[in-house]
Amino acid sequence: MRISTSTIFDLGVASIQQQTTTLVKIQQQLATGRRILTPEDDPVGAARVLEVSQSKALNQQYDVNTGSATSSLGMEETALESVGNLIQDVRTIAINAGNPTLDHNNLASLATDLRGRYQELLGIANSTDGNGQHLFAGYKGSTQPFSESSPGTVAYNGDQGQRLMQISPSRQIAVSDAGSDVFMQIKNGNGTFVTAAPVDPVTKISTNTGTGLINTGNVIDPVKWAAVADKNLTLVFNVDNLVIPSVTTYDVTDTSGDSVFTGAPSAVPYPHTYTSGSTIDLTSAPPDYGIQFAVEGAPANGDTFTIKASTNENIFTTLHNLITALETESGTGLANKLNTALTNLDNSLDRALTVRASVGSRMKEIESVKSTGEDLALQYEQTISNLQDLDYAKAISDLNRQQVGLEAAQKSFMKIQGLSLFNFI
Amino acid sequence: MSGALDVGISGLRAAQIGLTVTGHNITNASTPGYHRQEIVQTANTPVNTGAGFLGTGVNVDSVKRVYDEFLDLRVQTAQTQSSYLETFSAQISQLNNMVADPNAGLSPALQQFFQGVHDVAANPASVPSRQSMISSADAMVTRFQALNQRFVEIREGLNAQVTASVDMINSYARQVAELNNRVVIAQASGSGQPNDLLDMRDNLISELNKEINVTVVRQSDGAYNVSMGMGQALVVGSQPYILTAQPSLDDPSRIDVGYQAGGGQVFYLQRESLNSGNLGGLLAFRAESLDTAQNSLGRVAIGLAQTFNDQHRLGQDLNDAIGDVFFNVMGPSGASGPNAVPSAKIIPNVNNNDLTPGASPTVTLSDVSKVTTSDYNLSYSDGSSSPAGYSLIRLSDKASLFTPPVVVAPGAQIGVVDGLTITAPTTAPANGYSWQIQPTRYGARDIGVAIHDTAKVAAAAPIISQIDNSSHGGTGNIGTGTISAGVVNPPPPTNAALQNKVTIAFIDATHFSVTDNTTSTVLAASVVYSPTTGATVSYNGWTTQLNGAPETGDSFTIGPNAKGVADNRNALLLAGLQTENKLAGGTASFQSAYSQIVSSIGVKTRDINVTAQAQASLVKQSQMAQQSLSGVNLDEEAANLLRYQQAYEAAGKMMQIASSMFDTLLALGQ
Repeated sequence: MRISTSTIFDLGVASIQQQTTTLVKIQQQLATGRRILTPEDDPVGAARVLEVSQSKALNQQYDVNTGSATSSLGMEETALESVGNLIQDVRTIAINAGNPTLDHNNLASLATDLRGRYQELLGIANSTDGNGQHLFAGYKGSTQPFSESSPGTVAYNGDQGQRLMQISPSRQIAVSDAGSDVFMQIKNGNGTFVTAAPVDPVTKISTNTGTGLINTGNVIDPVKWAAVADKNLTLVFNVDNLVIPSVTTYDVTDTSGDSVFTGAPSAVPYPHTYTSGSTIDLTSAPPDYGIQFAVEGAPANGDTFTIKASTNENIFTTLHNLITALETESGTGLANKLNTALTNLDNSLDRALTVRASVGSRMKEIESVKSTGEDLALQYEQTISNLQDLDYAKAISDLNRQQVGLEAAQKSFMKIQGLSLFNFI
Repeated sequence: MSGALDVGISGLRAAQIGLTVTGHNITNASTPGYHRQEIVQTANTPVNTGAGFLGTGVNVDSVKRVYDEFLDLRVQTAQTQSSYLETFSAQISQLNNMVADPNAGLSPALQQFFQGVHDVAANPASVPSRQSMISSADAMVTRFQALNQRFVEIREGLNAQVTASVDMINSYARQVAELNNRVVIAQASGSGQPNDLLDMRDNLISELNKEINVTVVRQSDGAYNVSMGMGQALVVGSQPYILTAQPSLDDPSRIDVGYQAGGGQVFYLQRESLNSGNLGGLLAFRAESLDTAQNSLGRVAIGLAQTFNDQHRLGQDLNDAIGDVFFNVMGPSGASGPNAVPSAKIIPNVNNNDLTPGASPTVTLSDVSKVTTSDYNLSYSDGSSSPAGYSLIRLSDKASLFTPPVVVAPGAQIGVVDGLTITAPTTAPANGYSWQIQPTRYGARDIGVAIHDTAKVAAAAPIISQIDNSSHGGTGNIGTGTISAGVVNPPPPTNAALQNKVTIAFIDATHFSVTDNTTSTVLAASVVYSPTTGATVSYNGWTTQLNGAPETGDSFTIGPNAKGVADNRNALLLAGLQTENKLAGGTASFQSAYSQIVSSIGVKTRDINVTAQAQASLVKQSQMAQQSLSGVNLDEEAANLLRYQQAYEAAGKMMQIASSMFDTLLALGQ
C-alpha cells in the first residue's frame, strides 16, 4: 500500500494537535478548579449545578430570615418581659394598699406611683423597633397603636394583623402579635363572669355601707352558665335588726327583679340566710346556673353586689380604675375595688405571660429550623462540589499522561519526517 | 544504424519526459488537489525486416493523471458533511461559552432579585429594602438584555457568514464555468487530457462541496455540469448561475438563500434542500439552536414578568392603592411598556404589501404557562385555491393547529392555542396573506422595570379580616372562633367590590350570615358552619378561613387594609413565585426553565462535537485512501528520478555506441 508524503505530514500534525487540545483542556480545568468548563462537558451536571445553587441561595435567604425573625421576636419578648414585671410591681402595690393602716396620704402617694407606672405601660405598648415601626400595631406599623383620648380611656388604633416570615420552604412563622391581643381583649372577672360592688354612676364611688367583700367566684359548669338567658344578676342583702342577734338574709335577682331561687318577684324575707364566708351556690336547681361565689364580712341592709358575664377590659382601664380607687375610696369600698383590680391584674399578667410563652416557643422553633438550615447548607455545598469541582489527583495524572503522549507524538514525527531518500542522493 | 540512433533518441526523449513529469510531481507534492502524473510509455510499432520484426523504440503516449473518480467522490461526500458539522460546532460553541460560567448567566441575577423580594417581606415598611428590591430588579433586567444582546450579535454574525458563504459559492461556480470552457477547448485540440486544468477544476469542486453539497455530471465534451440542493443547476457548461443572500420574506431580519433562475426571478430555497456543507450548517444552527435558545430565554423573561405582575396587581402599596404593573412587557403596538398582558411580535410577509396596523392580526400571550418556544405562521385563504379561513402552523414540528381553517369576521377572535389568543386583523386580508408570529423572541429584550417609586411596591394585601371587637354591644366575641388574615383571589384585576366592608355574623353556633355593609346588601342569609371543620368564605374577590367555635352574636369583619404598612402578605406570595412551577404547562420554575436552556445547549454541543469528531476521522480515512492512490510520495519520485536518469544515460550511451559504429563504417572506406 502506498502512502503519500502529504499523508505522513497530515497525520503527524493531526495527532499532535489532538494531543495538544486535550492537554490544554486539562490545563484549563486545573486552572479554574472546575470539572465542568462549559455545559458541553456535562449538560445534565451543569443544569443540576444551577438548580442546586438556587436551593443553596434560597436556604441562605431563609437563614437571613430566621435572623430577622429572631430579632423581631426578641424585641417583642423584651417588651413583654417589661410588661410582666410592671404588672407584678403594680400587683405588689395593690396588695400593699390593702393594708388597713394606710391613711389617705399614703394611698395618694401609692396612686402617684401607679400613675407613673401607667404612663410607663403606655410607653411600652407604643414601643417601636429600630426602624420606626410599632411592635404592637398589627399591620399598621407606622400608626401609634395606643392613644389616650381622656384619662383612663385608651383606644387601639392598630389592627389584628400578625406579620409572618418565611423561615423554611414550608414554614411561615408569626413574628409579631397584635396589640389588641396583648393589651386590649382581656376578659375581666374570672373569665366567665365578674362580680363587683356597685358604684355611683357619676362619681364612681362605692355605695355599699356595710363591710361585705365579694370574691371572684368560680364556674362549676360552664355549659349551664352559657345557657343562661339573663346573665345580669344582683345579690341583695337584708339585715333584720328587730331580732337579736340581727339576721342577715340574701337573695339573687335577675334584671326583672325576680328571685332566681323562687322564680317569683323577690321580696323580704329573702330565702337564704347569710353567714360570712359561706358559699352562695347557684349550682343546684333552682337555679341551675353552674356558678358559685362567696361574700365575707357584714353587709349592711340594702347592700348589693352585681354578677355579670365577663367582658373585655383592657389593662389600661384596669390600672386607671385602680388609681382612681386609691385616690377616692377607703374602707370596704376600697377593699372590694382592690379585689377586682387584683383579679384583673392577674388576668392581664396571665395574658402577657401567655403571649410571651408563645413568643418563646416560636423562637425555639426558629432556632431548630435554623440549625436544620445550616445542615442543609452544608449538604448543598457538598452536592455542588461533587458535581462541579475537579478531582485534582486524577486531573494531574491525566496531565502527565497527556504530556508524555504529546512529547512522544512530537518526537516520533520529527524522526519520521527526517527520513527521505533525498538525503542520500 | 539509423535505426539504433532512432531507438536511442526515442529512449532519450522518453527519459526526458519522464524526468520532467517526475520533477512536476516533486514540485507539486504539496499542491492541494494535485493528482500525481505518470507517463504512459508504449513500444513503437515493430518493422518487418528480413531478420524478423524489429522494435523501433519507445513512444510516450500520454501523461496520465492517477485519478480514481470514486475515491475522490468519497472524500468530497465525507468532506461536505464534516464542514456542516464543524460550522455548526463553531457556531454553537458561541452559545456554549455564553452560558458556561454560572456566575455570568441568568441565575445569580434571578436569585438576587428574589432575595430583594424576601428583604421587602421581612421589612415591608422599610424604604431601603424596597429600593434594594427595585435595584435588583433593574440588575436582573439588565442581565436579560445583555444575554439577549449576545444572541442578536450571533444572529448578525450569522447573517454576514451566510452572505459570505453564498458569495464564495458564486465565485467558485464562476471559476468552474471558466475552467469548463478551457478544458473543453483543450480537450477538443485532441492532444490528451489537460491534467493540471482538470486538477484545478476538481479542487474547485472540492472547495465548493465544503460550502454546499453539489452533484457533478460529466459531459462528453469534458465539461462538468454542477447542480445543488434539489437539482438547481449551478454550472451548465460555461454558464454559471447565481445564488443570492437576501432578507427572508417572512422575517426581514434574517438572511435567506435565494436562487436566481434565468430571467432574473429569485426563488427562495427551502432550508431542507440546503442541509449540508458550511452553508447548511449555518442555516441549521440558526433554525434549530439559535432561534430556540433565544425564544426560551424570552419565555423565561415574559413568564417571570407576567406572573410577577399578576401577583403584584393583587397587592396594596404604601399609598394604600392597589398594586400596579411591576415589569414592562411588549404591548400590541410593539412598544415595551406597563402592559397588563404581553403581546407577540407579528411580522407580515413581504408579499402582503400592506403594513398598516389594522392589517395584521393581534396575538396576546393570555396564558404564559402554556406558551411554547416555537414560532408560528398564520395564513389566510379566501377559498379560491384552498379551504377558506385562517390556518395556523407551529413551526417547531410543522403541526397544523387550525384544521379546518377558521372563518371569522375582521377583528373577531380566531382562537386560543398554546397559551396565545389570536384575533383577526381589523381590515379584511386578501387571499394568500400570511404573518409570522414570534411570541417570545423579544421577551428578554423588552422586559423592563415599570416601578421606580419605592412606595409603589405592593407588599401588603388590600383587605384584612378581623374579629369584630364591637360585637355583643362592644364587649367583643364570646366564642373561640378565629378568622384567617385573608387572601385576594387571582387573576387580576381585583374585584371592584374587593374593599367593601363585609360582616360575617353568627346567627347561632352553626349558621352565619354575610352582609356587605358598604352596599347594604345581604350576600348570604344563612350559611351552615361546622365548628369541627371550619369554613372557607369567599366573596367580592377575597377568600378567608373561619375556624374554631364562635357563639351566637359573634361577628367578624373584612375590610380595607388602610395604612397597613407592616403587612407583608403579598410580598410573601411574590417571594414564593421563585419556586413555583409557572412555565411549560406547570412543570418548570423560572430557574429550571433557564437550566433547561443551558443543558439543551450543552447536549446539542456535545452531540455535534462527537459526531464531528467521528466524521473527521471518516474524512481522514477517505483522504488517506485517495492519497494512497493519487498522492505524491517523494521517496518514490526520488527513485523515479534515478530511474529516468539512468535510462537517459543508458540511452545516451547507446547513441554514442551507434555513433562510434557509424564511425567504424566510415573508417572502412579509407
